[in-house]
Amino acid sequence: MKIDASLHAVLEKLSGEDWEEVEVYHKRGRSRTVRFAPQGTVTTFSQEEGWAVRAGDRRRSFFYAAAGEPRSDVAWPEADGRGVRLASAKPVPPWTPPSDLDVPLIGESETRGLFEALARQLAEELPGARLILGELADGSSESQLVSSREVEASVRQRTALLYLEAAGPGRGSRSIALRLAERDARRFNPRTLGRRLADLLTVTEKGTTPVRDRGEFVLAPAVVVSLLSALSDLWLGPGAEEKTAHLTDRRGKIASPAFTLIDDGRLSGGVLEAPVDGEGQPTREQVLVEEGIFRQPLLAWWQSTSDPSRVSGCCRRPGWRDLPRPGATHLYLRPETTASVASLIENLSRGYYLIATEGAPQVAVADNRFALPVCGFAIEGGRPTGSITGAWLVGSVSGLLNGIVTTARDLSFLPVSSGMVGSPSLLIKGLELRQRP
Amino acid sequence: MTLVPFSHLDSAGITRTLSQIADRQADLADAFFERRELLELPPEDSAPGFRVWRESGLAVRLVRDGQCWLAARDGISPEIFSDTVRRAARAMPRAPYPRPSFGISVWPDAPRSSELLDFPSALGRAVRAHEVSFPLRLTLRRHRRWVRIVGTRLSSGVEQEIFYSASAEMPWGRYGCLLPELTAEAAERLAHSLVSAYRAHQAAPPEPWHGACVLGPAATAVLLHEAVGHALEADTLALGGHPEAAIGVRLGSVELNVFDDPARAPESVRRTADDEGFPVMRRCLLRAGVVEQPLCDSVWAHHSEVLEAGAGRRGDRHLPPGPRSSHLELGPGESSREDLFAEAEGGLYLPEAERGHLHPLSGEFSLSFPYGHRIENRMPGAPVGRSSLRAHVSDVLRAVTAVGSEPRSAGAGWCAKGGMKLPVWATTPELRLEGVRIRP
Repeated sequence: MKIDASLHAVLEKLSGEDWEEVEVYHKRGRSRTVRFAPQGTVTTFSQEEGWAVRAGDRRRSFFYAAAGEPRSDVAWPEADGRGVRLASAKPVPPWTPPSDLDVPLIGESETRGLFEALARQLAEELPGARLILGELADGSSESQLVSSREVEASVRQRTALLYLEAAGPGRGSRSIALRLAERDARRFNPRTLGRRLADLLTVTEKGTTPVRDRGEFVLAPAVVVSLLSALSDLWLGPGAEEKTAHLTDRRGKIASPAFTLIDDGRLSGGVLEAPVDGEGQPTREQVLVEEGIFRQPLLAWWQSTSDPSRVSGCCRRPGWRDLPRPGATHLYLRPETTASVASLIENLSRGYYLIATEGAPQVAVADNRFALPVCGFAIEGGRPTGSITGAWLVGSVSGLLNGIVTTARDLSFLPVSSGMVGSPSLLIKGLELRQRP
Repeated sequence: MTLVPFSHLDSAGITRTLSQIADRQADLADAFFERRELLELPPEDSAPGFRVWRESGLAVRLVRDGQCWLAARDGISPEIFSDTVRRAARAMPRAPYPRPSFGISVWPDAPRSSELLDFPSALGRAVRAHEVSFPLRLTLRRHRRWVRIVGTRLSSGVEQEIFYSASAEMPWGRYGCLLPELTAEAAERLAHSLVSAYRAHQAAPPEPWHGACVLGPAATAVLLHEAVGHALEADTLALGGHPEAAIGVRLGSVELNVFDDPARAPESVRRTADDEGFPVMRRCLLRAGVVEQPLCDSVWAHHSEVLEAGAGRRGDRHLPPGPRSSHLELGPGESSREDLFAEAEGGLYLPEAERGHLHPLSGEFSLSFPYGHRIENRMPGAPVGRSSLRAHVSDVLRAVTAVGSEPRSAGAGWCAKGGMKLPVWATTPELRLEGVRIRP
């Protein structure tokens, strides 16, 4: 790890001006984005570079960020009346950078080939269906950090984000969208994605809305990810324990034994895999809920000063313009079995297989209730009997967490605004489908 | 020291360089120069204190046969420009490109903004003047942006924008708005919105209602932005066919005369050219409810005899331009406020809308209201809680039965579409809708 001299120059300049706490962060990256639409293709090649300084003492502080390389000849903004405290250096366990960090960015013609294959697959699966928008952004970056608390860190990352929007064959039909992330863009499989789009379109085109029904549900990863994200207040930050208190039963459980929730910033193969977080603190696996028992929330170093063992490097910093903020990196529900999704569905005597969400969830943890717009299939005797759309999955938050019977093995991660969230498919009881939330 | 950059760009040299890559007759090439500054005053309990972001960069674009290549980089220098031209052209030049001079002015001294520092107390006083008090975490930002576009066909002057955004966190929710200036009047307007939300925050949502309602200027601005602005963007129209086909189609009631006019936006964000360097125009989107001229950028206008460029906007240099509205105006009607309410007795007055959404293919439209009032005795009465309107977009626009006679400037807020976050503005009176369904 070699830190650019320009970062040290800024650190020394500000330390020389008697600032007690100084942190210098620098990030550069490049990306190629291909936006594919029937009316034309737009290819963007971006090179971004910027840096940021946090400096202050106990009484005042400032933040300055700018494009380009770090410079020490800057007129710093006036510090304001709030103090700042930075993290001290901690030993970072050994880490081997993944080999795919060095794979070249996907080319323009490769990306066009992916979208054309995907559009063909979609039209084969569902004649008349069309891809109305495809966007693939493939990028790599390198960030560096130094601070007056002897933190020195350097991280390389690689991310490919894919957004797809497709419409069904009918005039005025609704469109559906998929948002996915991988470390290497070449892992996106057009055949699989084409089938998935066709499934979603078929459900939204032909589905009906059940009046009100109960039963067993198999929830696909996309549905569970939406709920886990919406319930993030239960697992993140020092206020989480208070919020989970009213969900805890007499045995100390908040969820069924099939529910084990983990965050892991250095998850092997994860899109955001890194040895340190956005403040240079070491990342690690942190079990938040273990077999239904709430262990601890996800805490940054300054959120648990009395017990450092509860802390993990979890301050995310997506770019040089961003201040580090605590948040999950790879938050996931651990698969508890090796069962396939098909076997979960085959064992449904009467219920639903919900494959996607149709909007944002409504969650009120204090009132112990949630509602999520969903679509999928009605199942009887282990076989689909029709598709459903425009339905709301509703229930209590405690019912949701405790109703999980088992999981499948198909752990999948999806990008959400706060990071990557993953889950396998779940078999769950005690919830209800309604026409309104 | 003046902060206006790009006034000494060697535009002739840049054009010569761009001409080397736009070597076919129908090619379009341009260079987009951008400088932005953001100052943030976070809530009092938040560190670090004063926050500053400063950045400059450029993008070069080549449009050929319906394809577009954009290369963008942070920083501005002759070397960066040459590299960006080469990447947009996707080829090494036969001969080195001549390097134009830029003469970019440096950033001036440390940024200051006394108006940011003074506004929280002015807002506090304005809230107290309503004889209420509640916890409030206020984040204030000042946004400044300078752009200049130099192309093979035309070159714009330096365009600059300055405005403010405020985000208030309260125990019952968040309220955000854009402000052209931080004046005492702006503090009073923001205080009025916060106090209204406070007084209604424990009110029960209205029972499902089918009938008349009156939208305030702020709610009308969101309605126009989603249901007229987004609906008439050339790229949105292209999802259902050729954008030209929309011209002459009746989209709304005869009461609706809707314009996009960036040159009549609040003075600090007023524009003479769009983000592609084309002169802006007073674009009539709807005349008496009929589509007249959709929002269009240069790519869509290039092959059309009726579509006119001038509405191309870029979120930043790393994003390609797209057709978007800037400043929507609803032509005033003849109804006084009393007239609007008189025909809506028992209905709902909905002063603010927090978000709206238009599904471009199906035409499904939704609008969410954080609070409202029952219309009683021809005026806003008892408060009601959250509600929403969901219908086909043309049904909503045809339900407009009267437009107020007093337009008001109403910052419509941030628009986020296709990854671009853009400030959008509006000047609009109140309007009355009849036969719509409002649900809790």
